[in-house]
Amino acid sequence: MILTILKKDLKLFFSDRKAVLLSFLIPILLISLFAFAFGGIGGGASKTKPIQLLISDKDQSTDSKSVVSKLDELAEVKLIPKDITDAVQLVKKGKYVGVLILEKGFQDSINAGTKLPMELKYDAAREIEMGMLQSVLMQNLMSTVGKKSIKAKMNTYFDTNYSGMPSTMKEKIFNDMDSGNNSMSSSLGNNTMDLKMTSIIKEDTKKGNLGLIQAVAGTAIMMLLFSIAGIGGGLLDEKEAGTLKRLMYSPLKATDILFGKMGAALVLAILQLTVMFVFSWIVFGLPIFNDITALVLMILATAFAVSSFGMLLVAIAKTRQQLQGLSTIIILVMSAIGGSMVPLFVMPVIMQKIAVVSVNYWGIQGFYDIFWRNLTLIEILPKMGILAGIGLIMTIISVRLFKKNILKLIYA
Amino acid sequence: MIHVNNLSKSFDSIQAVKRINFSIQKGEVFGLLGPNGAGKSTTINMMSTILKSDEGTISVNGFDLSNNQNQCKKLIGVVPQEIALYDEFSAHDNLMFWGSLYKVPIKKLRQRIAHLLDLIGLTERKDDLIKTFSGGMKRRINIAAALLHNPKILFMDEPTVGVDPQSRNRIFEIIETLNKQGITIVYTTHYMEEVERLCDRIAIIDAGEIVAQGTQTELQKRSDVKEAVEISFNTINKVQKEKLQELLNMKISSNSNTIIVECDINKALSKIITACNTCALEIEDLQLKKVNLEAIFLSLTGKQLRD
Repeated sequence: MILTILKKDLKLFFSDRKAVLLSFLIPILLISLFAFAFGGIGGGASKTKPIQLLISDKDQSTDSKSVVSKLDELAEVKLIPKDITDAVQLVKKGKYVGVLILEKGFQDSINAGTKLPMELKYDAAREIEMGMLQSVLMQNLMSTVGKKSIKAKMNTYFDTNYSGMPSTMKEKIFNDMDSGNNSMSSSLGNNTMDLKMTSIIKEDTKKGNLGLIQAVAGTAIMMLLFSIAGIGGGLLDEKEAGTLKRLMYSPLKATDILFGKMGAALVLAILQLTVMFVFSWIVFGLPIFNDITALVLMILATAFAVSSFGMLLVAIAKTRQQLQGLSTIIILVMSAIGGSMVPLFVMPVIMQKIAVVSVNYWGIQGFYDIFWRNLTLIEILPKMGILAGIGLIMTIISVRLFKKNILKLIYA
Repeated sequence: MIHVNNLSKSFDSIQAVKRINFSIQKGEVFGLLGPNGAGKSTTINMMSTILKSDEGTISVNGFDLSNNQNQCKKLIGVVPQEIALYDEFSAHDNLMFWGSLYKVPIKKLRQRIAHLLDLIGLTERKDDLIKTFSGGMKRRINIAAALLHNPKILFMDEPTVGVDPQSRNRIFEIIETLNKQGITIVYTTHYMEEVERLCDRIAIIDAGEIVAQGTQTELQKRSDVKEAVEISFNTINKVQKEKLQELLNMKISSNSNTIIVECDINKALSKIITACNTCALEIEDLQLKKVNLEAIFLSLTGKQLRD
């Protein structure tokens, strides 16, 4: 008897080929995705991909130009010269990880052996990239200007404290330094080679906690996608109950049914996002009133994109198994690459580039702009536009597919 | 009122409906009788606009269905085979929803719902959730939901599937009332007794083809089936059989101690019994073989309706 039931269930399962395909495809795709993102697969490509760093050389001296030139030769960094004002704005908008500023008097400080006037202003949302960048910069600055600066500093020190020191002895000490005996130079160099690190978005009371924003926006969008996929399942319930057929008997058009469902999904999506943000405000203190207009518009744009995604699922899936398979695979993949599961900056650069195909990415980045970067509505509008565009494209595809498939859906 | 010409429909390699033709007059109850898979629901789905035919035409009240779907949809109501209602809504809310799809003005819709709930005998339960209803009650709401926009034509696709005899009888009464109100009804079923009770004219459909159509009397004439009286005797000899044939002058077939007399039962029954007495035959059993659709169907298709 057990064998009979087993055979029957397997037969039913394998009768839906799309569902079978998705059942195996989902784990394969996810394994590949996570292996690629976190397992070092494709890591070679990501290591050679340089971090784009803005450079503002205010000194324009031989030494500062030499530093820029040496840093530009590094495989890990690609320097882009920018005026300081523009550079700060670009970093603030999240376009670049940071800007290295070589202040006026850079060369004079090297020659005088005093502290080098240089600063790295960075986007705190990309702290991990910054950590890597900082170590690369320090290592190379030391080799480029560090020894010159230290020699100058030591020379001044000897002249002040040991005015009678023979020049041959000074030469010997400097030769020791060049040959690698750096115990002294390190201690002296630390004073001159300090790289001032400044987060470009100043901490203030109105700015949200980065981790909190990531958690709220990432989770909210991912869970919203699952909710909307559930609404899509409602159409299959209607099919099973016969109410879909009855709807078709009425003067309604197929697209009326689709848009009706989409409207419901949109309302639910807006409600769900609103509740999640209000909850985060009450419980975690997320500053949702920083720019309420931008937040409302961002919620609307995200809700539209997500609900149109739900409609696309409705238009494609003809059985519950297909819907489950499709929604699981698409939502998990979009969430993984879009930054819902883990912040984007911990992923390889190639994954960060792929992320732009995900609704999650644009949603999360938009909420970052509102809560973290404190950008103005005008500056956030392009992201809202992209979400609306994604929604529109998915809606157009859904309408076409749904009109074509509605009868197949009824009689499937 | 409805004209169907050369209507065909295939699903992949299966031809579900094969060039069928029939007409339905205003105010009649037209039965589509056939076994499961005969093509009844496919025909209804094409007539109710949700399924496109491969070929052929359907006109409803003068409108060509392919070009005037919306006018036709307003003229027709469809009672689907499934109980197509929302379980989590009350009866009243279900009816409000389905009525609003036809843009019936709200005040008029409320009046219509009250009237229909009264007609189907569920006024008292109007605020109860559908999921609390019995199968028969759900079937009645299912019918009411098709009548909210006051259609001229009602398609009923096996509306009594799975209901108990009492509820079935209640549904029959509703259908008869609706028909008396002037609604033309197209009724599909595989139950002979439903067609016999309700339908003015019948189309027998089998394997996608209409085998015969007409009134029950017309179908009887088209088939070989005749009314007959079957009589069993304790014993009957050849002489008695010949005497009986002579007295009755009707077609008699015999088998052992049983004879079958083809006749108009109402007119000939007393004459047959008198003749048996005259021939000193002792009747052991007597059965009236009236013509019914079961027999006609068997005669026309060569198979039982539930084959």
